Amino acid sequence: MRRDLRGYRMSLGLDLSYLERSARGEFDLGWLRNTDSEWGVSAVPSKTGLTLKDIFIGSYGEVPEHAPLRTMAPRGSDIEIDVPDMGYTVNDKAEVWSDNVLDLYEEAVSRQWSATRDIPWSELVPLDPDVEHAMCQLATVLSEVEMVAADFPAKWLWRINHDFVEAKMFLCTQVMDEARHTEVFRKRALANGGGLGRATAVVERFLQLILDAETYDEGSALMHLLGEGIVLSLFRAGAALSPSPVEQQIFRLCMQDEARHVAYGTMHLRYRLEKDPSMAADFHNYLDKGEEMIAMIFSTPEIVEPTAILAAGSVKAACELGTEAGDVLRHQIIGDYLKRCDHAGLGRWGRLHLPDAIIDGVPGAKAEVVV
Amino acid sequence: MAPITAPFPSGPWFEELVARATADTAAIERLGIAEFRLGAEVVWPDGARRLFGLELDGYDIVATGPVDEAAFGPDVVLSGSLEAWTEMIGWIETNGPSDSAHSLNGLSIAGIPFEVRSSDAMGSDKFYRYMGTLQAVFDAAAADTPVPATAD
Repeated sequence: MRRDLRGYRMSLGLDLSYLERSARGEFDLGWLRNTDSEWGVSAVPSKTGLTLKDIFIGSYGEVPEHAPLRTMAPRGSDIEIDVPDMGYTVNDKAEVWSDNVLDLYEEAVSRQWSATRDIPWSELVPLDPDVEHAMCQLATVLSEVEMVAADFPAKWLWRINHDFVEAKMFLCTQVMDEARHTEVFRKRALANGGGLGRATAVVERFLQLILDAETYDEGSALMHLLGEGIVLSLFRAGAALSPSPVEQQIFRLCMQDEARHVAYGTMHLRYRLEKDPSMAADFHNYLDKGEEMIAMIFSTPEIVEPTAILAAGSVKAACELGTEAGDVLRHQIIGDYLKRCDHAGLGRWGRLHLPDAIIDGVPGAKAEVVV
Repeated sequence: MAPITAPFPSGPWFEELVARATADTAAIERLGIAEFRLGAEVVWPDGARRLFGLELDGYDIVATGPVDEAAFGPDVVLSGSLEAWTEMIGWIETNGPSDSAHSLNGLSIAGIPFEVRSSDAMGSDKFYRYMGTLQAVFDAAAADTPVPATAD
């Protein structure tokens, strides 16, 4: 039978004669007899099941510092010599790796939750209209900013070499996490008599800064370390200020996910700098630019004021308190950020690119005066 | 279920707390795996301190009793006065699972009445990563039938 006479040509190199040979039972069996991949591997499950760490053994646990090929072939497999080049641009392990990435992936999969099922929506309580509006405004901002933390990894995932598949898998969990955060805050805004609030140009510019980062290094520092660190503190504050079990559960569950992303970002930066300390100057430059985000957070009414109203319980009480409640958040955001930079090996004490009005009162944030 | 009978703070109190929290294994597994050591530090009015260990290991949760901080190596020490601890636990016993004002997060976010202490940023971030599990453990102090706040 001549299949090419039916009006089309097979362009992927289909071996028609193999179809005929295999139909007769003349199998190739090359994959069975001639293999160079490590064989006889018996990964042992740990007590929570068969984890990535459990299978990170022998040659399968060896991640090359520089990927020798740019293919989707599983690391450790036998790879034919004529596999196509997928054009990956992130081919060095240090560009994406972190020492905790295997654990973080398992944790992410294990601690997934549902914005539909795991939030006690029926326990929402009617709120004072201004407080409801404040909650809806905060939910609007969070629904807006969370999606960039899906867009950014998604933008880079297809550029990352498959040899670093565990890092790619973790980033996939982050995409799912952020989709859920966007979902849950949108649901909260629409669930209790309010609606969506205002999206601002200044927030959009901050998201653009992350999305348009020229390298994964830059974007990860801006997003995982700085941006998500800020949002983590917002989630903590949200959980502490929640008017009902609904918001408390929303913020608590989001906080857990966000802290995982921040843990990746911190340890990724640490790994990157351990491998190439000379990159510290680049990262300082990225963060010099990015720290304007912190200043922006504390000068955006759509973020500062809802938080102040939720903390005080009413517009009137918030106006009397001023930004007193927000000071706790400001101290925490900057203090935690500085500690994370420290842990990553990139001390930012005394070199923050922030106005004094923002860093006043944060221990160690201002440059020491040498006399 | 009645309130925990062992006195607070004591090793048996934490053991009973964890036994209650882990009785429903499906619920614990739903919360997900965790790797974390919490030191719950109780500070008496005279300045005396005792540290009680809680270890989250996969799906296991273990109360390790009174511990030495250096030997136990906690990721985080959650430190508060005896008054703050008893007030939080009393509220949960009386009212059920914590509201935001009586949660571990709510009571520690401003550094008072609880302080979150860790040797590095990864420790304190783990406190946030496992907050749901930690809160579920302390919420197990609740009696199933809320105890009236005041006697009739």
